[in-house]
Amino acid sequence: MNTFAQGLMDSLLQGVPLIAPQILLTVIATLMLWPGDLLFAKGEKHKWAPVAFAALLVAGVFIYLGKPGEGFNGMYRVDGLTKGFQALVILSALATVALSQRVLNSLREQTVEYYALILFATAGMLFLCGATDLVSVYFSMELMALCSYILVGYFRSQKRGVEAGMKYYLLGAFSSAIFIYGVSLLFTATGGLVTNLNELGQKLPLVPQANSLLVFGGVLFILVGMCFKVSAAPFHQWSPDVYEGAPTPITAFMATAAKAAALAAFLRVFGTAFHGLMDQWRLPLEFVAAMSMILGNVAAIRQQSMKRMLAYSGIAHVGYMLMGVLAADTATGVQAVWLYALVYLFMNMGAFAIVIHIQKGGVGERIDDLRGLGKKRPALAFAMLIFMFSMAGIPPLAGFFTKFYLFNIAVQNGLIGLVTIAVLTSAVSAFYYLWVIRQMYFHEGGAEVEAPGMAVSTIVFVGGAVTLIATAFGPKLLELASRIGWL
Amino acid sequence: MSAFANPTMMLVATFLPLAAALLLLFVPKENKAAFKQVAFWSMTLSFLVGLSFWFGYDRSSDAVQWAFSKDWMPTLGIKFSIGMDGISLLLWLLTAFLGPISALCSFEAIADREKEYYIWLLVLQTSMLGVFIAQDMFLFYIFWEVMLVPMYFLIAIWGGAQKLYAAIKLFLYTLAGSLLMLVAILAIYFLQHKHSGHYDFSIASFQMMAPVIAAQGKTFGLLLALAFFVAFAIKVPMFPFHTWLPDAHVQAPTAGSVILAGVLLKMGTYGFVRFLLPIFPDAVRTLMPWLLALALIGIIYGALVAMVQADMKKLVAYSSVSHLGLCVLGLFALNSYGLKGAMFQMINHGISTPGLFLCVAVVYDRRHTRQIADFGGLMKTMPVYATVFILMTLSSIGLPLLNGFIGEVLCLWGAFQAHPWIGASATIAIVLGAAYMLWMVQRVLFGEVSEVNAKMGDLSRRELATFIPLIAAAVWIGLYPQPFFRVMDAPVAKLLKQANPGQVEGPALEMAAVPESAPEGAGR
Repeated sequence: MNTFAQGLMDSLLQGVPLIAPQILLTVIATLMLWPGDLLFAKGEKHKWAPVAFAALLVAGVFIYLGKPGEGFNGMYRVDGLTKGFQALVILSALATVALSQRVLNSLREQTVEYYALILFATAGMLFLCGATDLVSVYFSMELMALCSYILVGYFRSQKRGVEAGMKYYLLGAFSSAIFIYGVSLLFTATGGLVTNLNELGQKLPLVPQANSLLVFGGVLFILVGMCFKVSAAPFHQWSPDVYEGAPTPITAFMATAAKAAALAAFLRVFGTAFHGLMDQWRLPLEFVAAMSMILGNVAAIRQQSMKRMLAYSGIAHVGYMLMGVLAADTATGVQAVWLYALVYLFMNMGAFAIVIHIQKGGVGERIDDLRGLGKKRPALAFAMLIFMFSMAGIPPLAGFFTKFYLFNIAVQNGLIGLVTIAVLTSAVSAFYYLWVIRQMYFHEGGAEVEAPGMAVSTIVFVGGAVTLIATAFGPKLLELASRIGWL
Repeated sequence: MSAFANPTMMLVATFLPLAAALLLLFVPKENKAAFKQVAFWSMTLSFLVGLSFWFGYDRSSDAVQWAFSKDWMPTLGIKFSIGMDGISLLLWLLTAFLGPISALCSFEAIADREKEYYIWLLVLQTSMLGVFIAQDMFLFYIFWEVMLVPMYFLIAIWGGAQKLYAAIKLFLYTLAGSLLMLVAILAIYFLQHKHSGHYDFSIASFQMMAPVIAAQGKTFGLLLALAFFVAFAIKVPMFPFHTWLPDAHVQAPTAGSVILAGVLLKMGTYGFVRFLLPIFPDAVRTLMPWLLALALIGIIYGALVAMVQADMKKLVAYSSVSHLGLCVLGLFALNSYGLKGAMFQMINHGISTPGLFLCVAVVYDRRHTRQIADFGGLMKTMPVYATVFILMTLSSIGLPLLNGFIGEVLCLWGAFQAHPWIGASATIAIVLGAAYMLWMVQRVLFGEVSEVNAKMGDLSRRELATFIPLIAAAVWIGLYPQPFFRVMDAPVAKLLKQANPGQVEGPALEMAAVPESAPEGAGR
């Protein structure tokens, strides 16, 4: 018994430092709910924003300083992949908290729960980035999702938000069930007791022929569950509605942080556990990637709402990134996806920041509302122009470079057919990105737009600057990306 | 003068317009004169600096000269490398030459949002100049794509009634083509890595891949060649990829048309010369019947459609389809005459068609119509304009002793040598070209003067200033093309060797007999 306690103690001591950022965030979030909530009076809840911001910053420092290692009996692991994607999550969460101020103030919806939920969701995402066991993948995903469900429907007064939250919750629960069912199939196929990704990677190819259907089914179910989380077509139906209905900062949060974390898990699960079975899931995943590119880009054309448009464009971008998962050499694929997600974060946050700024009281995100922005706010419009061209992949912007690098890897892996679809659909995508530019520069009118505040200016400026000049510093980016990988 | 000819000055001359554009960002909107002057003078200066390359160019060598290379992304084999050979030098100079003209012709025509206009114009200039000096595929691709953005804005903001449609059509068409090319570039890049073990994006190394690509089997080479071909054919534009051109030309502001016709279309033919012929000699041979057929259809179709146009600008636009068709025909004749003819045709078309667009703009600025039927008898009211118009027309239809002649004859000659029947049928283009052009001139310049037209003033000094360099260049090339031949001799010979692997080079072309024996001053 003593040795058991000793062992438990050791593994906790070993594991706890690995999840220091998550512990910090959860503790602070819990304290914020109680007794923290009593600290500020009802009209002063906005004071929680700096607290949440600071907590996220400290968590970011922890991530930066964190040492690589494995803990909790192989359930969680800190390595290049973990840290790289965790950095994206933290950046996105910081921007979300900063951007929320304006929206929450204008709707008088400032509460402590909002910030606490963001912190909890962030913790879930941070876990997801480093989860190395199907079970830990599952519960991190659930922690992230549960908080997101609430955040999406956070504005009780707005019907579409509540509807979106409900929709997200129902479909999310359904997809989680599919995922866990897939896990149970694999559990059976390998004879039980194996859920660790690395062990699965070793055992799955050795599963006897009689059980191969179980394995195939399990992999397929898990694939579907994960495709739902990253909103890849044809499992994307929730995302346009949810993106549109959610408070815009939360939309931005989901589009960047949740996607990055889910992609990290996707890369890890398929890169380690199922890597040996690539022949089985290659075709389905290729199909999903192609569908996402085609459907996302084509459906985005007809959107009137900026948020819906970005949702569909996000589906298309996920389609591109899934090509990285399909890379046979997982290390390069992971690097390309991370690089893509990094630049995607900057572009998307910048674009959402502008949308939030244009919105009055949380509504008014139609593309038409950007009308005449080029004249009214030249700097904002120019930034939006950069984001749009960059998403369309026009050189020399950062979006081009990461697309180029990703396509590069994909061609190297013989995915020429998929890359051809990717480039053709990205030509299509230019159409709707140009539509935004067209509204800003070639049309007059629209409501007055006030000068942007500090949060919006900073985020737009940083996003714009990074997007504009990153290609010139390509080697630096590649060097950064080369640190991403399993240890 | 040639002391200036070094890589640093090449960078300076290329990026000067961009630097000017950045400077203009900080000039207040109201300072309209500043935009015009800075745009005009920076591009003039860039041309003047560029002239030193003309004098300093070593005509005996076919190597890339003033090559400069610096590692950019070593892990991917991407370098920032620039340099020029005779072919790029000529097109670079043409671009730099047309830059100030495009600024000058906008001084009065563009009356709103001048700041943005001149900034986009300058950005466009740098990206076009960059295409011709890039010696690295990645760099080339960046310049090639960036070009689209300013062009999109120039058309979409300052264009005609259908400007938005035209602009987005141009953008999407060319983007789709270039993206396909990007896939092909990546495929070759990896093939090369498999073959040689290291990554290299330099254009020279791509050109050396020709035998390796050929060894991969017919379909592989064919697919890659097609991806390149479509990207360039859209830019040229070759039939049936030409449908964006009339829209873009008609809707674009004059400077946009000048640049479109003068430079952008040459990007396509430059691409053929620089990439398609050297990298895919075998695939080109396989595709040859199709390429020639498309070129021939383009020549005749363009001319026929031009003939029935009621809009002057549209007529000139379709004439471009025809002229560039001839240029492509000369290119794919794959002999010395044809290639040199094609090179000449590129330059000539870049002089006479911008001239014609400027001529159309002169009357459009005065009457705000471009319908041929609205004009007549301008010879009487605007004699200087009429002279200029006739000169540009004659240069465009290839009258001997003006620039157009030499290119057309060489293209036809080359085509005839390679494929007698095709060469012979293409001569129809000359007849048709003369017909639609002269018919337009006749209807616009001669006949009765209507009351409205009688009030139109003749060319202003500024307008005349835009035409003088074009006329001078047209007459110079018409009378004494020898210097141009000397610049392109060596690179064309090299290109021929690349495009005809394993074949003996044809006899060197001696052109001394044709233009120099003609009586002086017969250009008028």
